[in-house]
Amino acid sequence: MALLEIKNLHARIGDTDILHGINLTINRGEVHAIMGPNGSGKSTLSYVLSGRNGYEITEGDILLDGESLLEMEADERARAGMFLAFQYPVELPGVGGMAFLRAAVNARLREQGEDEVDQLGFVKLVRAKANELGIKDDMLKRAVNVGFSGGEKKRYEILQMALLNPSIAILDETDSGLDIDALKIVSEGVNSQRGPEIGMVVITHYQRLLSHIVPDFVHILSAGKIVKTGDKSLALDVEENGYSDMMENANVA
Amino acid sequence: MSPDTITLSSVQNRAQERFAETGWPAKKAEAWKYTSLENLVSASLQPANDISGAVATPKEIAGPHCRLVFHGGQFRDDLSDALPAGVRLVMLGDDESALAAIDELGASDNLVSRLTVAKMTAGISLQVAQGALIDRPVMLQFVGGAPAASSHPVIHIDIGDGAHFAYAEHHETNNRLSAPFIVVRVGAGAKLDHVKLQLENAATHHLGLTCLSLGERADVNSMSLSLGGALSRLETHVRLEGEYGELGLSSIYLGKNDQHHDMTTRVAHEVANCNSRQIIRGVLDDNARGVFQGQVRVAPHAQKTDGQQMSRALLLSRDAEADAKPELEIFADDVVCSHGATVGELDETHLFYLQSRGIDEAEARAMLIDAFLVEAVAEIRHQGFAELFRPFLSGWQVPHKG
Repeated sequence: MALLEIKNLHARIGDTDILHGINLTINRGEVHAIMGPNGSGKSTLSYVLSGRNGYEITEGDILLDGESLLEMEADERARAGMFLAFQYPVELPGVGGMAFLRAAVNARLREQGEDEVDQLGFVKLVRAKANELGIKDDMLKRAVNVGFSGGEKKRYEILQMALLNPSIAILDETDSGLDIDALKIVSEGVNSQRGPEIGMVVITHYQRLLSHIVPDFVHILSAGKIVKTGDKSLALDVEENGYSDMMENANVA
Repeated sequence: MSPDTITLSSVQNRAQERFAETGWPAKKAEAWKYTSLENLVSASLQPANDISGAVATPKEIAGPHCRLVFHGGQFRDDLSDALPAGVRLVMLGDDESALAAIDELGASDNLVSRLTVAKMTAGISLQVAQGALIDRPVMLQFVGGAPAASSHPVIHIDIGDGAHFAYAEHHETNNRLSAPFIVVRVGAGAKLDHVKLQLENAATHHLGLTCLSLGERADVNSMSLSLGGALSRLETHVRLEGEYGELGLSSIYLGKNDQHHDMTTRVAHEVANCNSRQIIRGVLDDNARGVFQGQVRVAPHAQKTDGQQMSRALLLSRDAEADAKPELEIFADDVVCSHGATVGELDETHLFYLQSRGIDEAEARAMLIDAFLVEAVAEIRHQGFAELFRPFLSGWQVPHKG
């Protein structure tokens, strides 16, 4: 069975239609890149998949392991295995980082019928994973994302992903705001989580992330539809020729 | 007895005369613009005088404190603990300087000071000896009462120069009206930690007035929580009378259903080089209403005053309402004073971020409310009081909104 199936998905915010019939199937072990210009619906797609309020699905369905997600709240989807790495991670003043991570991990463990983690073991686990991502202890003690640099916020997203062990991860413009060193660290963090059980959707405007996180498939999103699908070489095409060529060709075809 | 000897009955008589003249505040009175007392004015209140009633068992609040119990408005020595060495308890009528202070404040234009002195149900005076360092906090516990009764305890606390003292208030009565009047003189170089827990019965009206005066280099850290009651006003007046005084005066109110919480403060910087800092946080659900009125007055010679005040309210429901009336009256020119008041809702992006990590909405909301309050809670300096305080915040259940 496919891991994630997006079927003829139409979505709108208010009176504005954004997604116009997206079809996409992701199997376990696959990494799919979705590329597209600004305004093509990339972020809307990530929010619709993760269950943010304010979007209306007018047609179609999203299935995770064969179960429709449409009636599920964001937190239920997350506990079912969905993870969204935010383009702009949110600062939560006053919410302690460790308490936040622990609440999230325990929510997922409870859902899976497993015991919650004890505090000491959890701190050790977080430190070990954080260390791999170059996240300092001091960052872990602060409030969630407060006072973090852009690169630190992205690393913190990947840390959460590593702790939550999702079955499907959506990385929304994870490369934005990263310098080349941070991009490498974040990409290594993502790559270390690739495996036969997890599916990934890497949403990006630029090709450069995809030379670090090499996708199995590349899809071009334009005006709320996937207009072209190919392998990793499609990303290089975009890099060389831009989106406009491709969109024109797609229209002709 | 000479005619101008001050006695308990002379003080009460004067307060009764004043209250008879002025009565309850008029509907349009500026000081009561946001808080209506109509329900009280129309009720026929009986000042509690019955000490025979069954003794209510209040919530046990754990801690190393010694309790002074006011039951049904009466001071109950028999239910109270022995005070630590260095603190002396006398009846208010036996303490002339306390009576003089009460009399003077009773003459001011304030409802509670007049009403409570006029209808006094108990009066005690605590004297903390000069230089005494009291480790063990005193817990003033106000419990019991009857639905048609009003209680009017008057407490005078004198903290001698250089002394360290800590007291907590726990209000959990069943009265229609609970109106404690507490007057505290903090001597030069003395240090006071204070925490107030307003946990009154759901039908109780609480009108509390606390008047503090600070001597030179006095240092006060105070936190109030307004959680219970149908309608409450926690009013605090502070006079900084000696240079280099330090005042932390913070409060949290949590309202739901039709609760009304009013936090009113008046801070008077009478002399130079004093600091005052007020952090106020309110969370309101359902039809609850919150009011913050904060007046900071800086006298003409009170240069180098640093007066800060920040009030923030969080509305969890469309029908909740918060009003803020900050007032700065600055007559000196070399001062740093600021105030701010905000009213907002839980941020949808914050909620979504937490939920996207698998945390359900109820828990996510609770985490964000805790985060909203954490800055105020951090103002509590006394470790034991901080521990006393916290359970009442996390115990404030937030209903799940579908």
